[in-house]
Amino acid sequence: MPIEVIMPKVDMDMASGKVMTWHVAEGEAVTKGEPLFDIETDKAAMEVEASESGILHHLTPEGTEVLIGAPVAWLYADGEEVGEPPSRPSVSSSADGDPSRVSDVTEKPSEDTAAPERVEPLSSEEKTRATPLARAMARANGLEIDAISGTGPQGRIQAEDVRCFLDQSATISAPVAFKSETGALSITRSKGGTGTPVVLIHGFASDATSWAPLETHLRHRPLIRIDLPGHGKSPKLKLNGFAELAKIVRRTFDELSLDEAHLVGHSLGGALCLALADTRPRSIKSVTLISPAGLGPDVNGEVLGGIGRATRAESLGPWLRQMVKDDTLITDAYVRLAMAPRTDANMRAAQQALADSLFPDGVQAFDLRAALGRLEMPARLIWGKADKIIPWRHALGAPGNIALHLFEGVGHIPHFEAPEEVGKILKASL
Amino acid sequence: MNMQAKPTLRELSYAEAIREAMDIALSQDERVILMGEDIGVYGGAFQVTGDLVEKYGTDRVMDTPISELGGAGIAVGAALTGLRPIFEFQFSDFAALAMEQIVNQAAKVRYMLGGAVSVPLVMRFPAGSGTGAAAQHSQSLEAWLGHVPGLKVVQPSTPEDAKGLLLAALEDPDPVMIFEHKILYKMKGPVPEGYYTTPIGKAAIRRTGKDVSIIATSIMAQKAMTAAETLAGEGIDAEVIDLRTVRPMDRETVLASVRKTGRLLCVYEGVKTLGVGAEISAMVAESDAFDFLDAPIIRLGGAESPIPYNPELEKAVVPQVPDILDAARGLLKGRI
Repeated sequence: MPIEVIMPKVDMDMASGKVMTWHVAEGEAVTKGEPLFDIETDKAAMEVEASESGILHHLTPEGTEVLIGAPVAWLYADGEEVGEPPSRPSVSSSADGDPSRVSDVTEKPSEDTAAPERVEPLSSEEKTRATPLARAMARANGLEIDAISGTGPQGRIQAEDVRCFLDQSATISAPVAFKSETGALSITRSKGGTGTPVVLIHGFASDATSWAPLETHLRHRPLIRIDLPGHGKSPKLKLNGFAELAKIVRRTFDELSLDEAHLVGHSLGGALCLALADTRPRSIKSVTLISPAGLGPDVNGEVLGGIGRATRAESLGPWLRQMVKDDTLITDAYVRLAMAPRTDANMRAAQQALADSLFPDGVQAFDLRAALGRLEMPARLIWGKADKIIPWRHALGAPGNIALHLFEGVGHIPHFEAPEEVGKILKASL
Repeated sequence: MNMQAKPTLRELSYAEAIREAMDIALSQDERVILMGEDIGVYGGAFQVTGDLVEKYGTDRVMDTPISELGGAGIAVGAALTGLRPIFEFQFSDFAALAMEQIVNQAAKVRYMLGGAVSVPLVMRFPAGSGTGAAAQHSQSLEAWLGHVPGLKVVQPSTPEDAKGLLLAALEDPDPVMIFEHKILYKMKGPVPEGYYTTPIGKAAIRRTGKDVSIIATSIMAQKAMTAAETLAGEGIDAEVIDLRTVRPMDRETVLASVRKTGRLLCVYEGVKTLGVGAEISAMVAESDAFDFLDAPIIRLGGAESPIPYNPELEKAVVPQVPDILDAARGLLKGRI
């Protein structure tokens, strides 16, 4: 019989709490006393420790508001069969498991709580009450409708509730929060993390937000994301060729005045990391190149051109889907989000001018293979073997001291397509 | 607001606008004839034909015997031979007597004869409650005829549309049923001079708004406009769509409005159950506009009751302005 992990009562007038962050993943073992998850109430945020040891399953999604005493996950014994999440036991039976929490679970929210149906859990038979618009908005934002609390009649989730949830989650459940700085290029720094900072440089036609899938794995380090010129929030600069681009990235890096840093770059950002590591070898502690440019002449100019030309989600989508192996990852909602910043014609023009100087006639006009050979710090290449933008075989020219991680069934954006695997590699080495 | 007069337009009553349309048609097209009970010397049960018999004579403005089935049959036959009859019922309720000719003949002949003939027939039905004429003279039966492929069914709510839709109906090669609301006959409004048509199958956006789509038919479009003005004072920005045609329904206009507002309120005088509002609601629920709904769909229709004779009860069984206000407020303030 699995043991419930419940939402504890941590202050007197608390009726529910929000699961903010899980420290232990689905299926992982946890020891009694280990930090299990963070919660947030109206007043405070705090860490909850495991009351028992076991294997954690059926985690309530981060960002979900849960009634006091209601289960947020279950701990299974080693070898115990894991089926559907157990239906919520009655209040009294849940109290049996842990006498120390009797007061937590028997105390119900006071009768005069406004709109009690807002936090009343639905019976497992009943579907969540939500309007079609709320459901459509949740779908478009990749949210589970159950994670949102409704304020409409009978607790119905309406569009406004989804909007509120999105506003809140932008500040609360975002994996890592960043603040902006202006220098030669736009810089965003994470607010947490200790030790050697990790500098992240995105690829062509992307921006700093593209690192989101990886950030949870790197949150233990200070993260510094650079937006390339003409991308994200950086100025639109007229640049003639890779050397000028590398120069401004180097200037930006120097302005950071870091004693040491890890570099992680994707695609064009990979080439820039390589160039940076080559010229600042003493301060760069490691280099991670994800599907990098600069290691061979071939590049899919058709896709780069198509993305650069697209003025609407309909024309952007087919090209974006070329970037990945499993094109169901690129949902229409994803495309719309990706298109949002690209509606700026000046930005598109700046990017196209950059593409013309970097990849004339669909060829990589810069070659960093020699720089790769000179690297002395630890370096690794991460590549998807289904990459349709830059051939993964460029990796085979790397010298033997560079680690090679090749993923089957992954396209040009491994940190988006296989974030867990890529995250583990980085977490272990950074 | 579309319903307000443009200063240059003269005003006519709804009945006068219909008479003017018939007058224009009679003078322009010798195939046009008027038929109906007491439409000649008497001028029609609601004085819509008025003195047209004096102008065009009894060969073209014909009194028919007190037999709706017979009169309708003659009208269908006349249309089959190439005339353009406009047949008036004294009350739309009496359509029940003529159903064989309307449903089984007028609507079917073109199809059953492989398109060799058509029935260019216009029928006018004085409809609706509010005159104290009780259960057999007050119904709104447009949904009956709207259920029959082969018929077109329109419900003008303004003098301008009453004229334009009648002239459009005469241009149509197939039978067009016009439901005129009796209470509207005396309502005045701007009416353009001369010949023009109002498109059949095209709804009119009477007021643009962003918070709730009120789709209304006939006199309910007027009531919805009154309600919308009150709602505007409360910060509720209602869009009012006058459906104008029940069949074929203007899907695009309705869906576009619901996609914009996310809330749908249907207002119609016919009995709510299995009525026009049911069709509008289903059309929205079956479409992509469903994804834009942020509240349940609400129908305000006639009660499950014959129209009572008592004037207070008569008002109580059909939607009134306060009902529209309550429904819209409920939708916007989270009570529904």
